[in-house]
Amino acid sequence: MNTTYGVIAVALVAVATLGIGAFGLRFSRTTSDFYVASRSISPVWNSAAIGGEYLSAASFLGVAGLVLASGADMLWYPIGWTTGYLMLLVFVAAPLRRSGAYTLPDFAQVRLQSDAVRRVATLLVVAVGWLYLMPQFQGAGLTLRTVTGAPTWVGTVLVAVIVVINVVSGGMRSITFVQAFQYWLKLTALLIPLFFLLHAWSDDGRPSPVAPSDWFQPFGEADGPGLYLTYSVMVATFLGTMGLPHVVVRFYTNPDGHAARRTTLIVLALLGSFYLLPTLYGVLGRIYAGDLVASGRTDTVVLELPSRMIGGTTGEVLAALLTAGAFAAFLSTSSGITMSIAGVVGQGLAKHAATLPITRKVGLTTITALRLAAAGGVLVPLALALSAERIAVANSVTFAFALAASTFCPLLVLGIWWRGLTATGAIAGLVGGGLCAGVAPVLTIAWGPGGWLGVLMSQPAAWSVPIGFGLMVGGSLLTRSSVPGNVARTMVRLHTPEHVDVDRRS
Amino acid sequence: MTDEPADPGPPPTTYTGRVRVTNPLAAAPSHVRRSVRQEIDESTGVGEVYMRSLIRLQLRAALTVATTLVLSIGALPLVFLAFDSVTEFRVLGAPLPWVILGLVVYPCLFALGWLYLRQAERAERDFAELVEPERPEERPEA
Repeated sequence: MNTTYGVIAVALVAVATLGIGAFGLRFSRTTSDFYVASRSISPVWNSAAIGGEYLSAASFLGVAGLVLASGADMLWYPIGWTTGYLMLLVFVAAPLRRSGAYTLPDFAQVRLQSDAVRRVATLLVVAVGWLYLMPQFQGAGLTLRTVTGAPTWVGTVLVAVIVVINVVSGGMRSITFVQAFQYWLKLTALLIPLFFLLHAWSDDGRPSPVAPSDWFQPFGEADGPGLYLTYSVMVATFLGTMGLPHVVVRFYTNPDGHAARRTTLIVLALLGSFYLLPTLYGVLGRIYAGDLVASGRTDTVVLELPSRMIGGTTGEVLAALLTAGAFAAFLSTSSGITMSIAGVVGQGLAKHAATLPITRKVGLTTITALRLAAAGGVLVPLALALSAERIAVANSVTFAFALAASTFCPLLVLGIWWRGLTATGAIAGLVGGGLCAGVAPVLTIAWGPGGWLGVLMSQPAAWSVPIGFGLMVGGSLLTRSSVPGNVARTMVRLHTPEHVDVDRRS
Repeated sequence: MTDEPADPGPPPTTYTGRVRVTNPLAAAPSHVRRSVRQEIDESTGVGEVYMRSLIRLQLRAALTVATTLVLSIGALPLVFLAFDSVTEFRVLGAPLPWVILGLVVYPCLFALGWLYLRQAERAERDFAELVEPERPEERPEA
């Protein structure tokens, strides 16, 4: 493949990202601008930004790769990622916005009035963020290597650097513009080449994919593991989306709860339109790029198809467009996660800085703390991405979903709808659910057990989410006497529409 | 009783003028209309009832959506498993499971979200009218 177009595409996306970020910087002045874009983003902008941020490498490259490798089984992933937004809409969107907090730990504190819960939630935000960042960075390395032949670490480091510059310079407001731009870039980048590819397929006499019969069936192996894995993926993705820190932080940028609901509904439409496309790439890949399965490089199928099916300059330009889209996917998702890690850790840093004598003299402002946290938060996943062995992008992202579903999902759902939640119960659920869902990826990557244990560990959500919920409910019932005293007032705040003039003080 | 020596009141009152004494019930308005907003602000029993009914209504809407999802998408794997013949069926040249999972699911999810949004906003409008009947609805129906 001619590398020139690919390099140009990556450079253009990088420049556009930094440029739009700098444009946003002109409007970023206050702390509120940095953290939540001063809560002034309209649903149309906000939903495109959420779509841009949410459609990661796992969606852009991973789904097509999984469909190519495993067929109909894998269609559950995009369905789950979309349905997750529906669950978010019905259970948390408006009340979360009305809670008036900046981040997930903020929500925990508003609802439970406990610093301990806040600290546990902060640790979990960082853990989920790192699990999610690692595959993004690895995917970037893989993409750049496929397109330009550069060593894997180049793309990984490049994405990390651009993300940090972007977050450090403009905070949330400039990121909102960048993300919204990147949603449309990603959709265009998949849509236009697809027309050409389908045309080429049509000219070719519309061959059918050649595959073993289980590729066509929703269950390759119709026995226990297949069914368990499918349901576990469903649980993780349906319930995990609402607990992803980079998704949740977006809801605070809505003007009110009403707008938060509308934003989520538009996101459902944007995601639904997007996810129609990767499946087609996967099926075309089965026809024209079946050898990628054997060589284990299924994640690159989207990038390889144009040169294989069309070739010539057209093929290369289309491949460059897809590369641009993939890079936009890495950048936008990584920016969003980094921003949410930085938001949470930066708040903690600024708080501590006010109490420590050394830092108080230096005068660590909230914005400086945010910038420090962004740079620091990227280092660990960067090191992991460079050292750990690669697993399929979409699979490793599922661990992040499972962890979020086992911890933040119970916290949000019970916190919003159940008065009986106590701080002790919340900590029990967060720690217990977090340990269960956190041990699984470590075991799978480091040891890789076989048999049913391996199956249970590779998709932990189906058992770790009930444990998280159970511990939270059980712990709260045991400490019933310590239900926060202001819970009635908090409920008023979470559930009454903003334009109704009631007392919302906590 | 102005010369009560054990009176612990902070400033000893030196006021000696005449005091008009009235029956407190006569000065009070005959009937105070308490608004629902006051009831909620003061966390009275009545306010609690209103809040709980709003929350229960919203939770019921959310649970309806969740149940629908479990019974539709959640049941699909079992349906495909139980009725093998379904998976052989072809629509538009593609196997039925592919058409359902790759295409049909998405508009259905959006429709479900839209129905929920209408329901949730209606519940909030009703609640707002109950709490502030004097204030006309200012948010235009968008």
